Amino acid sequence: MNKKFRDSLINLGETLAMLVLALLVGALMVKISGNDPLEAYSAMLTGAFGKNPLKSQMKIYELLVKVIPLMMVAFAMSIAFKAQLWNIGAGGQFVMGSIASTAVALYVPVPIPFRIALSLAAAIAAGAFWGWLAGWLKVRFNANEVITTLMLSYIANCILLWLINGPMQDPYSDLTQSDVIPEAMFLPRLIGNYRLHSGIFILVFVAVVMCFFWKTPLGYQIELVGQGRKVATYSGANVDRTIQTAMLISGGLAGLAGWIEMFGILHRLFPDIASNYGDISNIIALLGGLNPYGIIASSFFFAVLINGGSSMNRMTNVPYSIVDVIQGLIIIFVIAKVILHRKNSSAAVKKSK
Amino acid sequence: MASSIFTLSFFVSLIASTIRLATPILIPALGQIYTQRAGILNLGVEGTMLMGSIAAFSTAAATGSLWLGILAGILAGILFSLIFAWLTITVRANQVISGIGLNILASGLAAFIYRVIFGIRALPAQVESFKPINFGSLSQMPVLGPILFQHNWLVYFAFLIVPLSWFIMEKTTYGLKIKAVGENPRAADSKGISVAKIRYSAVLLGGAYAGLGGAFMTIAYLNQFTESVIGGRGYIAVSVVIFARFLPSRAALGALIFGFFTALQLRMQALGVSIPSQLLLALPYAATIVALIFASKNAAMPSAYTVPYSRMER
Repeated sequence: MNKKFRDSLINLGETLAMLVLALLVGALMVKISGNDPLEAYSAMLTGAFGKNPLKSQMKIYELLVKVIPLMMVAFAMSIAFKAQLWNIGAGGQFVMGSIASTAVALYVPVPIPFRIALSLAAAIAAGAFWGWLAGWLKVRFNANEVITTLMLSYIANCILLWLINGPMQDPYSDLTQSDVIPEAMFLPRLIGNYRLHSGIFILVFVAVVMCFFWKTPLGYQIELVGQGRKVATYSGANVDRTIQTAMLISGGLAGLAGWIEMFGILHRLFPDIASNYGDISNIIALLGGLNPYGIIASSFFFAVLINGGSSMNRMTNVPYSIVDVIQGLIIIFVIAKVILHRKNSSAAVKKSK
Repeated sequence: MASSIFTLSFFVSLIASTIRLATPILIPALGQIYTQRAGILNLGVEGTMLMGSIAAFSTAAATGSLWLGILAGILAGILFSLIFAWLTITVRANQVISGIGLNILASGLAAFIYRVIFGIRALPAQVESFKPINFGSLSQMPVLGPILFQHNWLVYFAFLIVPLSWFIMEKTTYGLKIKAVGENPRAADSKGISVAKIRYSAVLLGGAYAGLGGAFMTIAYLNQFTESVIGGRGYIAVSVVIFARFLPSRAALGALIFGFFTALQLRMQALGVSIPSQLLLALPYAATIVALIFASKNAAMPSAYTVPYSRMER
C-alpha cells in the first residue's frame, strides 16, 4: 500500500472516530436533558431516510435538496479557506446573490431565457463583489477578513430586510417577503412533484470542476498563498492579487448557491433565506479537510443531521438545538484531532535525537 | 421629523444610552487586551459572551440572585475560554478556526440549555434586572442626571476598570510578562517565564471579562435571553481592541463610538425617522468595518500574534 493512500485512510478513520465521539457526547446531553438518546437518534435516522429507505424516495430527494446549498457554500468557503482567508460571511454573499437575481427576475423586462441568464450573472456578480470587498479591505487596509466578512454578512441581511419591507415588498400582501419570481423561470423539478430540482446538475458540474481545481495554476497559487506570504512571494505568486481573486471566486460561488436556492426552492425573498448555511458549510468545509471529496462526503452527513434533526424535533421532546451542539462538537473535535499526530511526531523527534 | 432630532431630550437619551450600550463592548474588549497582547486572537469571544449570558440568566432565574448570576456568567466565561486556551496553546491549533468553532458550539449549547431549563413558553422567561444606582439629588439633575447618574453598577464598573487595566498592563510585572510573551515568547521562555502559563491566564482573564459582558446583556441591560442577544458584540469587541491598539482608554473611546451608533439607530427608530430602520440596523456593523480600515493599516501587533509557541521547534 502506498504511503499517501495509507495516510488518507488513517485520516478518514480518525475523522469518523471524531464524528462518533461528537454523537456520543450529544447522546450524553440528550440523556442529561431527561430524554432517551436512542429514541432521539432513531427518530433522526427515520427522519432522514424514512422507515424503509428503499421505499421512501421522498426522504432521499429531500436529502439531495438540502445537499445542494450546503455543498455549494462549502465549496465556496473551501476556496478562500485554502488561502487561509477565513471567509465566514459566505451566508451574506449567498444573500446578496439571492437579492440580485430576484431583482433581475422581477424587474428586468427582457424575454425569459435572457432574464434567466442575466439573473444568473447578477447573482454571481453580487456574491463575488461582496466577497471581493473583504479581500480588497484586507489587501488595502490589512483589515481582518473574519470580522469584515461577518460584518458584511450582517449588513447583507439588513439590506434584505429593508428590501422586503420596502422597495421589493410583495405588492399582494402585507408580509415581509418579495413577489414570487415568474413561474417560467423556476428551475424545473426532476421527478414528479418532489422538490428535487435541476439545480443539482449545476452542483455536479461545480463538484467536478472542484475536483480538478487544485491542480490548475490558479488553484495552486491560492494554495501557495495559504502557506504564508513569504513562501508565496518567493514562489513568484502575486499575493495581493491572489487574495482578491480567491475572495472573488469564493463569493461568486456563494452567490451562485443563492441563485440555485432562489430559483429551485424558495422562489421569493423573505427574512433569513440563507438559514445558517454559512455556519454549517464552514464546518463541512473544515471537516472535509478543504478537500473536494471530503466536502462531498461531509455535505451528505450534515444533510442527514439537519433533515433528521428537524423531524426529531417534531417527533420527540429533544430540541433541534442538539443538532447545533453536535455540529459544534464535531468542529472542536476535528480541530483537536491534530494532537494525535503531535504526540507521534514529538516521539519521532525524540527518537531521532 | 428633523426638528424632533435636535431637541434636548433626544440628545440626552441618546448620550445616556450610548454609555449604556458601550458597556457590553467595553468589558469584553478590556479582557481581550490581555489576551491579544499575549499574542492570541480569540474570535471565540462572541460564543464566550453567549455562554456568559445564558449562565447568568439561568442562574439569576433559578436562585433569584442577580449577584450569583454575575458570578455564574464570569465562571462560564472562564470555563468556555479554557477550551479555547487548550485548543490554541496546548494543541496549538489554528486560533481563527478554534474561535469560530467555539462560536458555533456556543450558539447550539446556549439554545439547548435555555430550552432544557425553561422549556417551550408562550412568553420568554424574565428576570428582574439590576436597577440604576440611586444617587439621590444627582440622579434628578436635568441633563447630567440621566446621562451620568441613572445607570446600574456594571456600567460604572466597566469604566472604572479602564484605568485599572491600564495600570495592570503597564505598571505590573504580570503586564510586563504578558507583553513579553506576546512579543518574543522564546526570549520570555529563556528568562524563565512560562509562556503557556501566562497565555492560559491571559485567555482565561479575557474569558472572565467576556462572560461578564454577556451577563450584562441578559441581567443588566435586557431582562431576558434570546439566541441573538449578543448579536456580533463579541466580534465588535475584538475589532475595538485592534482599533484601540491595545490601549484601555482608546478601547473606551472605541466602545463609546459603537455604543453611539447603536443608540442612534435605536433612538431614530423610536422617533420613526424616514430612513428605513433596517438600514439603520446596519450602522454599527458598517462602523466596525470603517474603524478596522482606519486602525489596521499601521497597527503595531505583538510580534508573536496568532503564532503558537512550542519549546521544541526552532
